[in-house]
Amino acid sequence: MIELWDGASMEYDKILENLLGRDDYLVVGHSVVRTDALEKALGRARFTADYIPKGTAVVKVVRSSQPHARIKVDVKAALGVPGVLAVLTAADVPGHNQIGYALPDQPFLNGEKVHYIGDPIALVCAEKEYAAAEAVDAVEVEYDPLPASFTLDAALQPDAEPIHEGGNVAVTTRIRKGDAERGFSAAEVEVEDTYETPYQEHMYLEPEAAYAVPEGAGKVTVVGTMQSPFLVREKVAHVLGWNLSQVRIIQALTGGAFGGKDDMGPLVCAKAALAAVKLGRPAALVFDRDESVAYTPKRFPARIRYRSGADGEGRITAVEVDITVDCGAYANRAPFWLWRMTAHAAGPYEVENASVDGRAVYTNKVFGGSFRGFGDVAIHFAAESQVDRLAEELGMDPVEFRLRNVLRPGSRTTCDQLLDHSVGMEECLRGAAEAAGWKRGRELGRKGSRVRGVGVGCAYHGISTSRSTPDWSAASLILNQDGSFTYRTGICELGQGSPVGHAKIVAEIIGAPLSSIRIEVPDTDSTPNAKPTHGSRGLMLGGTAAADAALKLRQRMISVAAEMLGCPEADVDLREGRAFNRQDPSEEVSFAELAEELYVRGVSPAAYGFYTSPRRFYDPETGLGVNYSVYTFAASVVEVEVDTETGQVDVVKVWPAMDVGRAIDPLMIEGQIHGAVSQGIGFTLMERLVVEDGLVLNPNFKDYVVPSALDTPEVAETIIVEEPYRHSAFGAKGVGEPAIISIVPAIANAIHNATGLRFNTLPITAERLYAALRRRKP
Amino acid sequence: MRPIPSFSLHRPKTLSEALELLQALEDARPIAGGTDLLVLLRDGAVSAKHLIDLGGVHELQYIREENDEIRIGAATTHAQLLRSELIAEKTPLLHEAAASIGSVQIRNRGTLGGNLCNASPAADTAPPLLALNAEAAVASTGGTRIIPLGDLFAGPKMNSLRPGELLTEIRFPTPPAGSGTSFQKLGRRRGLTLAVINVAVYLCLEGGVCREARIALGAVAATPIRMPAAEEMLEGRQLSGELIEAAASACRDQVRPIDDIRASAEYRREMAYVLTRRALMDAWERARRDTL
Amino acid sequence: MRITFELNGKRVECEARPNKTLLDLLRADLGLTSVKKGCEQGECGACTVLLDGAPVNSCLVLAPQVEGRAVTTLDGLVDDPLMAALRKAFMEDGAIQCGFCIPGMLLSAYALLRENPRPTEEEVKTAIEGNICRCTGYIKIIEAIMDAAERIQNERP
Ligand SMILES: Cc1cc2nc3c(=O)[nH]c(=O)nc-3n(C[C@H](O)[C@H](O)[C@H](O)COP(=O)(O)OP(=O)(O)OC[C@H]3O[C@@H](n4cnc5c(N)ncnc54)[C@H](O)[C@@H]3O)c2cc1C
Ligand code: FES
Ligand code: FES
Repeated sequence: MIELWDGASMEYDKILENLLGRDDYLVVGHSVVRTDALEKALGRARFTADYIPKGTAVVKVVRSSQPHARIKVDVKAALGVPGVLAVLTAADVPGHNQIGYALPDQPFLNGEKVHYIGDPIALVCAEKEYAAAEAVDAVEVEYDPLPASFTLDAALQPDAEPIHEGGNVAVTTRIRKGDAERGFSAAEVEVEDTYETPYQEHMYLEPEAAYAVPEGAGKVTVVGTMQSPFLVREKVAHVLGWNLSQVRIIQALTGGAFGGKDDMGPLVCAKAALAAVKLGRPAALVFDRDESVAYTPKRFPARIRYRSGADGEGRITAVEVDITVDCGAYANRAPFWLWRMTAHAAGPYEVENASVDGRAVYTNKVFGGSFRGFGDVAIHFAAESQVDRLAEELGMDPVEFRLRNVLRPGSRTTCDQLLDHSVGMEECLRGAAEAAGWKRGRELGRKGSRVRGVGVGCAYHGISTSRSTPDWSAASLILNQDGSFTYRTGICELGQGSPVGHAKIVAEIIGAPLSSIRIEVPDTDSTPNAKPTHGSRGLMLGGTAAADAALKLRQRMISVAAEMLGCPEADVDLREGRAFNRQDPSEEVSFAELAEELYVRGVSPAAYGFYTSPRRFYDPETGLGVNYSVYTFAASVVEVEVDTETGQVDVVKVWPAMDVGRAIDPLMIEGQIHGAVSQGIGFTLMERLVVEDGLVLNPNFKDYVVPSALDTPEVAETIIVEEPYRHSAFGAKGVGEPAIISIVPAIANAIHNATGLRFNTLPITAERLYAALRRRKP
Repeated sequence: MRPIPSFSLHRPKTLSEALELLQALEDARPIAGGTDLLVLLRDGAVSAKHLIDLGGVHELQYIREENDEIRIGAATTHAQLLRSELIAEKTPLLHEAAASIGSVQIRNRGTLGGNLCNASPAADTAPPLLALNAEAAVASTGGTRIIPLGDLFAGPKMNSLRPGELLTEIRFPTPPAGSGTSFQKLGRRRGLTLAVINVAVYLCLEGGVCREARIALGAVAATPIRMPAAEEMLEGRQLSGELIEAAASACRDQVRPIDDIRASAEYRREMAYVLTRRALMDAWERARRDTL
Repeated sequence: MRITFELNGKRVECEARPNKTLLDLLRADLGLTSVKKGCEQGECGACTVLLDGAPVNSCLVLAPQVEGRAVTTLDGLVDDPLMAALRKAFMEDGAIQCGFCIPGMLLSAYALLRENPRPTEEEVKTAIEGNICRCTGYIKIIEAIMDAAERIQNERP
């Protein structure tokens, strides 16, 4: 038996409920017009490239043309190109040249050895784009090729050339729960298969960019597109060999990120910063689309061998899962990615016997990195395909089968984590199935060459950091003299709208109109560190820090207001920008008056909010314990139409459901789900990065095809399940990532329902589906 | 991706000016909408010292019918084709093909002449125009020659124009009553997509008998091509489902596609059958409706 | 080359190399950063502007090619009632996430409604097929364009 929660933790939902004493919230739970929408709709929102003035030095990256080689670099000729200001190599890095995220395997600039086609070797700085392009070609790189591995199998050969010291296995994972073999002997049916998921490119509309300005001696400011200004600051300082205080990072509005800019933000900003510092003048680096696609991290490919069994009652008795993640050239986030896959290997089901092993393996290809859903997309594709097959073997309806196994309050996860509350898996599944008319809809039939089918997918996704790594966040709130508020958070606006969610939480707590709260862009010189905007933690962690700041300020506002109104503090309420006496609402002061009074009395008008997630138990030896503090649950039903003559698949309709804890803003949740549906359709049906001997052959929108408006399915109104989480503001849980996870297997399962064909690898392109249909024909 | 290399740009107002520039300048190339050329220039796949912009040559933008012949100026944009009632009514085949090209933005810039002269095997207007028996008017300072459209295509991304020549016009007989056509395109998604393959069919019926059949396919060979064997199977015969299947099979046998990033040769071959069959069935249906 | 054209209703005269794209001219030389650079290959639509009222990819137009013509960016339509209706619908319907695709998207939508005030959903999708959005999945965008069309119709006598 494992002790789970450390008893005395804040239960935010209760605190807020009692404190605010409201039956209905004013802004939380209602859809509002995002405060950042107007500037975006006017075209006045500024993204990084929009900050770069004319005359800024242009930085370009010289990249490896070989997948694996020792190198010698000669920059003489490049320096001779007119207009070239400098050519920087590893030797010019004043601080540390090692920039690996999880493991020290990644040079910032490669001076001795390159590990994939595109590895950065040098930075060319020039007055103009043309000179820079010419100088990039003029840098002479002598390659002494090494044997390269492009597949997992090749890299795992005993005699494979090690890509990094210590061999090609970067990390391993392992979980043993119960006794898998005993579980299999209790099984009536067993299915086993190997699943493969490919790279997925983020294809955010805004390519990577950074603009750096040296500020006198020993300070640099970098404006960039990123997800974690504080991580960026750390890496820039690391490369420059400076203190954190010498580096100022400003996150410009970010044109889509989906995880990718968590990895690329630091790498790009550090390059611009190095150039600016070396040149002593502003410098900017803006990626072209082909660079952005060919050389930056993508969803890690994975191979999953999966064996599972169920008894005659339809209970899953055991799973045995073996996971191999393809890191590409660097481990980057692979240890976390792999762990997430390992921990979620059984899917959102209670399975008593589980045996899971994982490894992340280097190959000489573009490296993987963060991407919405992290490893959970791949592992759920496998797990949910397996579950469908078990149901089929037992002759059971797939929804019914899932309902017998789903995690419920009181269930234990694969990591033996007790889920005591906020477990809405069953409601999600029932909700989506009912909305879709699941029982009626199973026989959808055929029209000419077109057949329809429906499929279901379930998912769960641990929010934020894993393995009980401490997680925390911070925010600040200032009441200005005129009654307006300045809110700062290091959580980034990436399109998902988390900071707006924070502002809503603040507005709810301090009774301010949303429009009076200005969200400042994150600036490490003035914004409190909120840790990264990833792991779907932006609203849950960041929002709770916002709540903390708001609560502190609220307390001060109330006590000053009580004196001004001459009533007990308990009678003061804050609403719509004024403080009033609940007993006699006509006795009121405006926030402007109240603010003035705070300043006059020397009561601090600024509050710093801090939140630490509850401490938890986790045993690194067994992999068991409280792994993630809470999970978001989701289910989707998908209807597809397959053209059996061409193999084309149209997703016709999607019925999504999600347990979000508490919906701070239903419209923004829908937005996240719709975006995820589209990315899920892309990943499942069309997105295919073609890599030949380490070279990406389709680094563009033309041949790396993502869904267009004409590929948009009908999406039913999202079924929002609210099982509040006790330790976050208003009970909200993260929604950004979980949305994509259930869609992918639901589409694959629907294709199976329509055609009888099961696909173990993605994407299921028209051509592959067609070939499979043909192979099946007698 | 590189910045676009430098060149000088010339903006003639008349066709004769354009032809003279093209003749006089070394390493000169016409640019119409630029939707192919600018991408190629940036990629370094094509280079030129001089670009002759046809955008100001308004005499190359027209759609008209003369003596039962439809004539289209080479610099006519896909958007202009789409807006033309003449095209919509008399050659829905070309209308449908133009509608399938790129996006609104691309159709507003891209021209018919550019689509053909770029000579991509997948060009969407090529099969319809081949099926409509189109001819191309090719001009130079020395005069104008008329060639069958098929002769314009020399190979993948290669046209047969000689230095100094411009495509000025596409013309084809107005399809008569009793004819039916169909355009089919298979892409990797539903919107803005290059053809994995495309098929155009023109059928002319007379009392249930197929008097004329023209079938053209794109992205299945080095150039867009006609399918004479299949056409012969249909001509002079009473159409039927089986006959159409047989003709579609003949197309599958005739095509010589390649493997590329968009599809395998094998898939293209099979889709040549599927799309041709669909196009024939559809054109047959429309022709019958037209004769009623 | 010296070029003269109309930009957002005002005459502009400037110098541009022949190989400069309209996109670079607008963004770098004229400071109109509402026009976005997403691919420079005509594939993403982020750089959409109106050329004589019709949407084009400014990355595939050479600056000198706009000589004597009218170029409109989002900046020129701030006070336009149709654009105002679209803007309102985009904001209220939750059609805006990161916002990078939005200027191009709004211009495509605007051109559509100018020509076709009551489009079908299919026509809306076709009008924006050249504007990639990776955030919203298009659903709210399509809804917003339909809503704007309806509101404008209802406002007319
Ligand atoms: C995003 C995108 C999507 C696309 N989608 C499609 C599609 O779905 N289907 C499709 O078929 N094409 C597609 N294209 C390709 C292109 O848009 C079309 O081929 C278009 O019709 C080209 O016309 P243009 O006027 O832009 O040609 P340009 O780029 O101006 O010219 C193309 C070539 O033809 C030559 N040329 C042009 N006019 C003449 C003339 N009158 N005489 C002699 N030579 C001439 C030029 O020198 C150049 O070599 C797409 C392109 C892009 C960028
Ligand atoms: S930048 Fe012009 S279409 Fe992408
Ligand atoms: S809102 Fe981000 S690309 Fe459309």
